[in-house]
Amino acid sequence: MLENILQFDGISKSFFGVRALEDVSFSLPGSHLLGLIGENGAGKTTLMNILGGVLAPDSGRMRLRTADYAPRRPADATGAGIAFIHQEWNLFTNLSIADNLFINRFPRLGRSPFINRTVTRKQTAKLLESLNLTLSPETLVDRLTPGERQLVEIAKALSTGAEIIIFDEPTTSLTAAETQRLFDIIGGLREQGKSMIYISHNLGNVLELADDIVVLRDGRVVDTGPGRDFTIDRMISRMVGRAIDQIFPTRESRPSQEIVLEVKGLSQTGIVKDINLVLHKAEVLGLFGLMGSGRTELARMLFGLEPFERGEILANGVLCSRICAGDCIRRGMAFVTENRREEGLLMEATVVDNVGLAALPAFASTRFPRLLRHRQLSEAVTRIAESMRIKSGPVARTLAKNLSGGNQQKVVIGKWLMSRPAIFIMDEPTRGIDVGAKHEVYSIINDLAAQGAGILLISSELEELMGLCDRILVMSKGEITGGFNRAEFAQEPILHAAFKGHQRLSQNGRAGQR
Amino acid sequence: MAGAQVHRVLVFGWGKALAVARRILLSENFVLYLSLVFFGGLYLFMPYIAGGRNLANISSNMWPLLALVLGQMFVLILGGIDLSQTSIMALTSVIGGMLMTTRLDPALFAKSPLWGLLLSADGSPLSGTVLAVPLGIAAMLLVGTSVGLVNGLAVARFRMPAFMVTLVSMMFFSGLAIYLTKSENIMYLPDGYTRIGSGGIGLVPWSFFVVLVLGITSHLVLKHTVLGRWFFAVGKSVRTAVVSGVPTERVIVIGYALSGFCAAVASILYSARLAGGRPTLGQNLLLDVIGAAVIGGISLFGGKGKVLWALFGVLFFVLLSNALSMLALPFYTEPVVKGSVILLAALLDVTRTRLLAREVIV
Amino acid sequence: MNAAKWVCILFVTTALVLAGPSCSRRDDGDGQVTVCFAFQDLETEFWVAAHKAIIETLKSKGIQIIERNANEDANRQLEQIRAAIARGVDGIIIIPQDGESAVTIVGEANKAGVPIGVFNRPPANRSKPALVVVADNLKISEQAVTYMAEQARKLGRKVTPLILVGDLGDSNAVARRQGFMNVIQKNPDLFNEAVEVPTKWDAVTAQANLEAALQRNPNVDLVFTSSDFLYPQVRAVLEPLGKWKKIGEPGHVILGGVDGDLRAARWMKEGYVDATGVQDLFVEADELLKALLEAMNSGQKTPERWMEDPGFALTQANMAERAMDMWGFKLLAEQGPAGAQ
Repeated sequence: MLENILQFDGISKSFFGVRALEDVSFSLPGSHLLGLIGENGAGKTTLMNILGGVLAPDSGRMRLRTADYAPRRPADATGAGIAFIHQEWNLFTNLSIADNLFINRFPRLGRSPFINRTVTRKQTAKLLESLNLTLSPETLVDRLTPGERQLVEIAKALSTGAEIIIFDEPTTSLTAAETQRLFDIIGGLREQGKSMIYISHNLGNVLELADDIVVLRDGRVVDTGPGRDFTIDRMISRMVGRAIDQIFPTRESRPSQEIVLEVKGLSQTGIVKDINLVLHKAEVLGLFGLMGSGRTELARMLFGLEPFERGEILANGVLCSRICAGDCIRRGMAFVTENRREEGLLMEATVVDNVGLAALPAFASTRFPRLLRHRQLSEAVTRIAESMRIKSGPVARTLAKNLSGGNQQKVVIGKWLMSRPAIFIMDEPTRGIDVGAKHEVYSIINDLAAQGAGILLISSELEELMGLCDRILVMSKGEITGGFNRAEFAQEPILHAAFKGHQRLSQNGRAGQR
Repeated sequence: MAGAQVHRVLVFGWGKALAVARRILLSENFVLYLSLVFFGGLYLFMPYIAGGRNLANISSNMWPLLALVLGQMFVLILGGIDLSQTSIMALTSVIGGMLMTTRLDPALFAKSPLWGLLLSADGSPLSGTVLAVPLGIAAMLLVGTSVGLVNGLAVARFRMPAFMVTLVSMMFFSGLAIYLTKSENIMYLPDGYTRIGSGGIGLVPWSFFVVLVLGITSHLVLKHTVLGRWFFAVGKSVRTAVVSGVPTERVIVIGYALSGFCAAVASILYSARLAGGRPTLGQNLLLDVIGAAVIGGISLFGGKGKVLWALFGVLFFVLLSNALSMLALPFYTEPVVKGSVILLAALLDVTRTRLLAREVIV
Repeated sequence: MNAAKWVCILFVTTALVLAGPSCSRRDDGDGQVTVCFAFQDLETEFWVAAHKAIIETLKSKGIQIIERNANEDANRQLEQIRAAIARGVDGIIIIPQDGESAVTIVGEANKAGVPIGVFNRPPANRSKPALVVVADNLKISEQAVTYMAEQARKLGRKVTPLILVGDLGDSNAVARRQGFMNVIQKNPDLFNEAVEVPTKWDAVTAQANLEAALQRNPNVDLVFTSSDFLYPQVRAVLEPLGKWKKIGEPGHVILGGVDGDLRAARWMKEGYVDATGVQDLFVEADELLKALLEAMNSGQKTPERWMEDPGFALTQANMAERAMDMWGFKLLAEQGPAGAQ
């Protein structure tokens, strides 16, 4: 069917004078998958919020098949057959799959308030089967992997009779196998006649799946066309408005011989075993591994957030004992966690408060009433914000939660830059941020190394590590299973080391795909 | 058509009115404006509300309550709560009273566990001496801060929920106060002390000065010191604070200690006013304290708070109590009205948060 | 906006701070006589009846009443009195939480020159002038317990007496206990050592402690309650033990109390209770109000008088003649045959 099932006509929306969307028009043909791409801040979320009835457009209209579509609240969207599969899942982890699917429309026993468990179970089983999920309907969602949970979300969407399904960054937390399964299901949905919008930063996936592609930049549609006409380069250049010759900036500096961080025999039963590593000044050391290999736990141990039983950590030659985060900071360490919302940022605080948080004592008088030197602090923060090109309103008033993912991450990095650390541990620093911001973060890492900091970079994206690092260490099941110098970088051996201890390789051997 | 014109003007005017209303609602000084409007309204019906004597009453009721709210503010900013403030008041009142009193009736106090050890018919070993009052006050402050420290350690070190810890504290120290005096009130406190409750410099009561110093210090701490920033950080996200190197345990302990200290200050003022060490002091004040804090805008969820808000909240609350006292309403309406106002204040807080959150940038 | 905010704050603070105690005259406004009646949580029948008596008397004289309940909080009562004074009242009647706060509050009234009367719970000392009506609790309970002792003597053996003691912060409770003890100590040949059960004037506490006491001392033959409002708890404990019996029946425990409420009246009539020490509630209210109104009319600012209600003991012996002198009986009569439990 080629008739358009959904149409956007001149949609515009502003927030307090800032144009979020301007004259956005495109259509979604039936049984097609439309890839919607753009940097964070380009307007994708706002557009989806309008579609979903959360926000109302300032002007323009939407059409569903032939009728006008103007939802006033999310329930209207659900009622019209539109379902969203979000990044943050809305499942009740303490309830079973069946409960989650039917939470607001349990089949009843006749007219009584009692739930008809048999019917519930049967219907759930049927749905799960159609998605090739071999799980019992009574399984608690708590026990499911992120991939399985996402499929439950899809099942939920299907069970409400959705005809249009919107996927928002669906593969962020999936393994390669789960991603492939998702793609299979998407194919099946397409055959069933469902129409889909697919939003993702993973441009390769979008290319693989999309029948049509729409590129948003600064609230406007800057490019549309059939999927087969697009290439990655075209997508990136349209998204960013400039050609990016290379995603990874050239590493100019060379690591020195001086050691800034040394770890000897670090162990904690069940988590890590006998970790030995050395980080040099001006070096970017990558740490690669599959999920669950113990990389984050290791990083947290180095920073004093988790205890360890045996081993030694020497920062700048000084032995660290009974460490806590405060001590580590004083020794010149910094830690960008993988969970910026819960551990990197004070979401309800301003940009200034966030950026200044770790370095406060340095901006106060040294003796008893440690009075803050507000102006110096504010100037330092502004300087860092500018140098990092953090896009926000006035820094003293904008709350962190109102920034895009990329800017949020820059705030976190900026916070650590304030104390000019010599040792930088970064855990998945580019997760969930758009291409433009990623590039900026890569530049920042480069600059830091050039200025002499030693950087321990943890990432699940092998290309990223291969592009940035001087050396890569591989962890698997809590142990270091391999180390590679820049000259030796190659995907096969690195992946091999990452899978040591696991039974089988995934389908195409690409564990690095997000 | 004229009708359409009128309609348009009305809609436009209504929109403008809403916008203005919205701005006032979201304003920081909303409660202050509300208090002034409230006061003005009351004046129309009861002109004696602006009389010198009534203003003096409002004033003398405000300052001790403000001391309590300032202490509670620190704990609320941390995302906790201190239910034990009232029993800290009772305990310190009793301890101060025992140290300062000049006369104890054996018939009443002979059964106290401290009789013979510390207390006798002439009071404590300090009675009558020059040191009685300053040492008594110092002891009260020390005890209040210590109880606060204990609360803080339980919350920070043992990770027990603040509600539970301070509830237990409340019951325990209240019981202790009653036990020490066998539930008797201590009278015959020296003039040097009771004058704090009733005298002042010229027309300005002593309690004002005490609480002024407390308020200014609190403001300085919150706005201009590293510790103040740390309070807010811990209240907004403990995990982020930990990762960012904030000594969260120490911060929490200090917060609760400050709350205890402020409760002791309030106790000094209330006990002087009632001219007695009372083991039941402040029993019913907890609702007033939390109510005033919430009305002023100090969030129960943590991370938000200002000395000025505490002042406005107490102002409004005391005005409300005063108004209820003045009106010849049946006595059982008072708790109903107070409760409703606090409920409205909480709803207001939620509404304001939601309105502010709508200003989202994509 | 900021400047405006600071101006407002400055204005408010100045107004509040400079409002000295010596400012304008308090202002009545309407010329009508107003009295403030401040009390604590009318918890027992005695207080309810007292409240009713006082309100009705004041109303009958055409006086406007401002009622305030301090919920057993002395600080609140102090604030309420101050507010009433600021509003402008001609007289004040208080039932204070305890003797000590009464002294402070009387002091406030004295400072403002408003005559004040204190009902039934006297100030801890006489340092500040006030009109006080108080029952001679000691003598009343002595009389009641004396009669009970006579009944005990008829048993021809040593008797174990038990007393439910009130909140010792209340001087009335102290006096009643003393009256009881006086009689017990005067008859060492008749009485074993008395068992004292603390109640803190709380029914739940009373019942729990009484149960425990009777478990430790099962052979109690005489029970004296410091206030009649605890009788239901006494019955709840004695009945399952088979000790709730009428006079003359085997197992009867000699029962007596102080106050004279409706329940005491009923159970005296039915023969469970031997004697009741009666606070003449209506007389007390009358006397106090008379003194207060006199002071208000004659413009006295700090009247002082200490009125004592001698009360009396209503016993099975004199019940026939004197029953209607007890306010509980009067209430019982008002209720008619279908009186409540």
